[in-house]
Amino acid sequence: MDLFQPPELPDEWHERERVLQEENARLRRICASLIERVESGGVASGAPYASFEHSVLLAEQVRERTDALQQALTELHRAKAEAEAANLSKTKFLAAVSHDLLQPLNAARLFASALDEHALPDDSRRLVGNIGRSLKGVEALLGTLVDISRLDAGVLTPDIAPFPVTQLLDVLAEEYRQMAAARGLELRYVPCDAVVESDLALLARVVRNFLANAIRYTPQGRILLGCRHRADGLEIVVGDTGLGIAEAQREAIFLEFRRLGVESSDQDRGLGLGLAIVDRISGMLGHPLRLVSQPGKGSLFSVRVPYGPPQELATRASLPIVGGQAPDSLSGAMVWVIDNDPAICEGMAALLGGWGCRVVTAASLAQLEALVGDDSADVLLVDYHLEEDEPDGLAVAARLRRRHPGLPVVLITANHDAALKARARRLGHECLLKPLKPLRLKMILMQYLAGQA
Amino acid sequence: MDLLDADVTETVHHCGVPPVITAYSTLREPGEAARELARQLRHAELGFVLFFCSAEYSLERLGPAMNAAFEGTPISGCTTAGEITPSGYCRGCIVAIGFDRRVFAVAHTLIDDLEGFGLLQAQRLTGELLEACRHASPTLEGGQHFVLTLLDGLSSSEEQVLATLDTALGSIPSFGGSAGDDNRLAHTHVYSDGRFHSEAAVVVLIQTRLPFEVFTTHHLRPRQEKLVVTRADCQRRRVLELNAAPAAEEYARLVGLPVTALEPAIFASHPLAVRIGEQHYVRSIQGANDDGSLSFYCAVENGIVLTAMQPAPLLDDLQLTLQGLRERLGEPVLILGCDCFLRRLELEALGQVDEASRLLGVAGVVGFNTYGEQHHGMHINQTLTGVAIGSVPTA
Repeated sequence: MDLFQPPELPDEWHERERVLQEENARLRRICASLIERVESGGVASGAPYASFEHSVLLAEQVRERTDALQQALTELHRAKAEAEAANLSKTKFLAAVSHDLLQPLNAARLFASALDEHALPDDSRRLVGNIGRSLKGVEALLGTLVDISRLDAGVLTPDIAPFPVTQLLDVLAEEYRQMAAARGLELRYVPCDAVVESDLALLARVVRNFLANAIRYTPQGRILLGCRHRADGLEIVVGDTGLGIAEAQREAIFLEFRRLGVESSDQDRGLGLGLAIVDRISGMLGHPLRLVSQPGKGSLFSVRVPYGPPQELATRASLPIVGGQAPDSLSGAMVWVIDNDPAICEGMAALLGGWGCRVVTAASLAQLEALVGDDSADVLLVDYHLEEDEPDGLAVAARLRRRHPGLPVVLITANHDAALKARARRLGHECLLKPLKPLRLKMILMQYLAGQA
Repeated sequence: MDLLDADVTETVHHCGVPPVITAYSTLREPGEAARELARQLRHAELGFVLFFCSAEYSLERLGPAMNAAFEGTPISGCTTAGEITPSGYCRGCIVAIGFDRRVFAVAHTLIDDLEGFGLLQAQRLTGELLEACRHASPTLEGGQHFVLTLLDGLSSSEEQVLATLDTALGSIPSFGGSAGDDNRLAHTHVYSDGRFHSEAAVVVLIQTRLPFEVFTTHHLRPRQEKLVVTRADCQRRRVLELNAAPAAEEYARLVGLPVTALEPAIFASHPLAVRIGEQHYVRSIQGANDDGSLSFYCAVENGIVLTAMQPAPLLDDLQLTLQGLRERLGEPVLILGCDCFLRRLELEALGQVDEASRLLGVAGVVGFNTYGEQHHGMHINQTLTGVAIGSVPTA
């Protein structure tokens, strides 16, 4: 064997070498194409594929930015929703707390009123008077808070019905005439025979606010309460000769907690929520507000209310005008009171007793029936919300009316639901909201008893 | 509430006339077909008509017939590789869409010199369209715009025209399709101003207060294999070599078939795509040539890397896409779809055309089978691209 002779390579080795060389050449060409491509990349050329690539990169950038924007928006929405939820829960909390405070306050007012009916030494009577006024102030404040929280929470629904505007304005004129007189102001009231369509109680709040503000901000001169007939509604106007409101402040006074620079006296406490409530109520009722004012000359606030169809007039009699000494016609009247809160029952018994009524109080229908047997009553006062699982005030009233047909019923409730009020009204009941205003209750009782006589 | 919103709401919900009416005709005689469409679409507030017709029609006669039937209402359209009618896929027919002028302001124009279409022309064109839209319906001010492009699908200039136009359009979303000719690859046309044009593009600007979404979808997923273009004829959109081997041969090896078996149905089921960033963009093959090269429906370049793709279930993707649009926009008044004809070939091969027609019909999709789609200035292939228009105006 010749060691210097190179060995014959097998054929398959040649074949393999050829394949590898070909493969190598192809890889080189692929490499070269890729290198060419990489090196020409990034150059803005007019070549078709470069145009496509350019569009893709642009679209990709736009997509990334849109995504980032979308994400930011989503975050923002989430944050907003959280803030709104927090706000709503605060509103609900406020409504709940205000509501719970009203119950004991109601009892305190009843006790104070009852105490006032007793024969007392002058010193004590003055103190009782002060207690009464202070409680009234707290009640007014709390009422305002309840109102605004209910308006914000959207739980207050208007109870729209036609009524003659005198039904509202006569009462208010009488009420505020005395307040104005106490301040040395004259209140001029021009009655109007129009029929309007609105929520009587809510509209009353609006006009009361106008009147209270007019009195508060008018050091001297006159207050005017009247109406203007407009094509698209009746404009209820409260004008004054007071301080007026500067142009720059006209928006701000409708915000919460804004009061114009006037020293507030004891009787004049407030949260500056009045016009904020007016604004919300008018928004809810769809009654446009108008304000005309000239600093130093006076202001004119008005609210425009749609006309109501006169034929659909509510048949309810208007409330008797509050004021003066009430005649002592309640003595001897039999009044039944059903309330599951013992403090309220006790307060009612003291108050009604002070008016000369005979009173039977009970926590439930069963208890009342046990107490009264076959006796009858002149009036039933019943709380709407009794114990859980017990029939509600309306159901109790219905049961009692079956045995005592025509029994006058006053439903007392802390529930501001318009539907409930309407239901009570349809059944012919009076409906009073907590905190109970003793004078209002007295008027209703007198009206019922007069009707029976 | 804005009065303008009230207007639209009324149109959508109360008047007898819906804001968009779709119709189709299978009549063969151009005049009769045009009149049949007009009978269904014409009403006092018809503002614009868009149509897609089979290339089998005598375009010389169909052009004037459409014009006569609609008596001066502006019309744009193009030839197709199949139509999507309110009842689903169709061939050899005309489908048309009528837009109510109270809900849509529409302006349209023709680009007849695709080669010479530069940024200056694009900017002038955009300005004129926006002005015409404003003029057409001042009451729709504040509504959003989108642009529909219809391009001659065999002009080989889609990429540059689109990139240029998209630059000028700025933030206005755009989409569209390349006209087809029933897979004959001979003559594709767009329609504007009463007649058909080749080597041209139609641009339609639409403004509305209805919510809409320009969308694109495909059902193709990447595989492992990569093919590098090692020789290309950019002008003619031809790839001569893949991986330094004759292109058709190399592609046939990839799909495991002889070169002679390469045909559109194979291209549809074995697509190639370029990857840019995280996205894959299908570059569809038009045909295998005698010289061993492959022709594409879109621009190609030496050195680009093609990824082999495989289809996922098309119907699932279609259903998901349509469902998503409905969830985001509510019940649509119209989904205008530019649907690649290769998708239709795939459905035909799988025997799923009827099921797809049902899905499209239920969702309210009308449109046509394209030789390529356009999305935000990109020329793309083998997708369903379009606009979905909701029925409830945005506040």
